[in-house]
Parts: sequence; structure tokens; C-alpha cells
Amino acid sequence: MLRQIQAILLFICFGLLSMGSVYAAGAEQLFKFYCAQCHGLEGKGNGPNVTESFATDPRDFTDRAEMEKLSDADIKNVILDGGPSASKSELMPPWSKTLTEEEVDTLVSYIRKLCKCQAKQ
Amino acid sequence: MKSTIRVFFGIFLAATTVTATQAIAADGENIFKAKNCQSCHYTAGPAREKSIADQLAKKGPELWYAGSKFQSAWLQKWLQDPAVIRPLAYNSLSEMNLGNHARLAADDAVAVSEFLMSLVSSEVEAGVIKPKNHPKGRLIFRKKMPCSGCHQFPDRNKISGGMSGPSLVGAGSRLNPDWIYAYLKNGQVFKPFKDMPTFAGLLRETDLQAVAAYIATFE
Repeated sequence: MLRQIQAILLFICFGLLSMGSVYAAGAEQLFKFYCAQCHGLEGKGNGPNVTESFATDPRDFTDRAEMEKLSDADIKNVILDGGPSASKSELMPPWSKTLTEEEVDTLVSYIRKLCKCQAKQ
Repeated sequence: MKSTIRVFFGIFLAATTVTATQAIAADGENIFKAKNCQSCHYTAGPAREKSIADQLAKKGPELWYAGSKFQSAWLQKWLQDPAVIRPLAYNSLSEMNLGNHARLAADDAVAVSEFLMSLVSSEVEAGVIKPKNHPKGRLIFRKKMPCSGCHQFPDRNKISGGMSGPSLVGAGSRLNPDWIYAYLKNGQVFKPFKDMPTFAGLLRETDLQAVAAYIATFE
């Protein structure tokens, strides 16, 4: 009986871990598809669009000190409404007509993982 | 009597021309298949991508609306001498486009072009956009919603702009201005999962038209 319970618990744990990896893949895919073109595949602000004529440096999401100055709501608002909504560059476009609210929340969580930092409260 | 003969002759000539064009397009379709172009480009619409993964699985752009998107003269020429349009390899942010697209002999290029130009989308309304160096379009393109962040474009004597999107250098001879507007207005019809933001609903229709007209002037 104990072995059966152990087997069931193991099965549940494995299932939960699998779900976690599916979530992570979705977040990474979203980031690489939409954000990496400017922010870089690793979020360092060095995507292929950052050429000589790119007027500003995109945010480096791995810069912990800078990222800790932002709340999750700050990041979400800029994704939805673009850079000018936070007095930042127009080169950050508004994604409110492209991404769902859920996708934006997923991206905010993923960006927090890149900076390995806490959000400003 | 003479005018009746002229009318009949005109109808006969038009019918013969249509039949000849259809025959060339059919030849073009055969060449397209024989050269295995469909391994990278699908030609039957509507758009079939259901997820980002579907988009990323594609090896090249969809062509099911090529006749609405491109200009015939440009297409014929490009198929014979395919210069790089996308600075980066398709669906890649890290690899450069090596510019190794297959090239066709002149006769084959004419036929394949005829086939591709027969593939049209009802989403593209003809005669709406005329190329114009529109100040509003220029402002939006370069600053307000900077398309230039992702697309190369002719900037006086140099080429400026980002690399993730297709270059817009030469867009005036490559793209149908009405398609540019249709893509800005309702891009998901053509590409359901695209890394370009949707601007419809954020910009007015007249603004989208101004941007399309401005892009259509690019040499």
C-alpha cells in the first residue's frame, strides 16, 4: 500500500514538473519571438535591430540594479503601451493590440527570471 | 458591319490572351513544383499557422497572396537574380541571410512569376494607396511608431534601420502599395503569428494609409 502511495506521489510530482517546463518553454518562446529582436535572445539589450541607427539602447534585462527600480506593473505598462507611456523611447512599440493580457504577464515573469531580481514594490 | 467585326476580333484577342496567360501560369506552377519551391513556400491560402511554433517551423515566406503583394516586373527580375531582402535568415535572429535562394532561367522566371501573380487575396482592395512622400507617414515611420527600428530603409544617401524585418529598400518597385496598407490594417489575415506589432486600432486608418503611401516611395 505504501509503495502504491509512493508511486502515485512520484507520478503527481513528475506531472507538475512537466507542467512547469511547458510553461517555461511558452514564456521563453514568447520572449524570443517578440522581444529578442531588440532586447537580444538572452535579454541583454543587444538584439539584431540594435544597429548604428538605433537611437537608444534597449533595456538590458540582466541588469539587476536597474531592473530592481521597476515594479512588475511598470514593465507590463511599457509592454502594453510602449516606451513613450513611461517617457522612454518610441522604439519600444505598444503591444496591446498584439499580445493578450496573459501573454504580457507571462513575459513579465520571464523578464524577472532574466534579472534574477525582486520587483520594486 | 465593320464595327461588329472589330468587336468580335477584340473579344477573340482578349480570350486568346487570357488563355495564353493561364497556360503560362500553369507552366509556372509545374516549374514551381518541379523545383520543389513548395518545400519552403506554401501557395494555398488561407494562412495555416495556428501558433508561434507553426510560424517558426516555416523555412520561407508564405506565397499564397504573392499576386497581391508583389509587382510582376520586380518578381520576374528577382527570380532570375534573387538579391537579399531579409538581412537575417528566415525566422532567425542570430544567423545572417546567406543570399543562397535558388535562381531561375529567364523563361522559367516569367512562368513562375505568372503563376505567383495569379495567387491573390480578396483582403487587398485595389487602387486605395498611391505612393506619396507623406509627412505624416514619414513621421510615423521614422519616429512615432518607428517601423525603422526593425526595417532597413533608404535614408538619404545611406541605408538605415533594424534587421529583424524584411528590408524596405526598393519597396516602391517590389511591393503593391495596396498590399502594404492591407498588411498594416489586417496583417493577421496574411500572417497570424508575426513578430511585428499590430498597429491597427492604435493608429487611425488614414495614418496607416499615410505610412503605406510613404513606404511605397522607397527606392
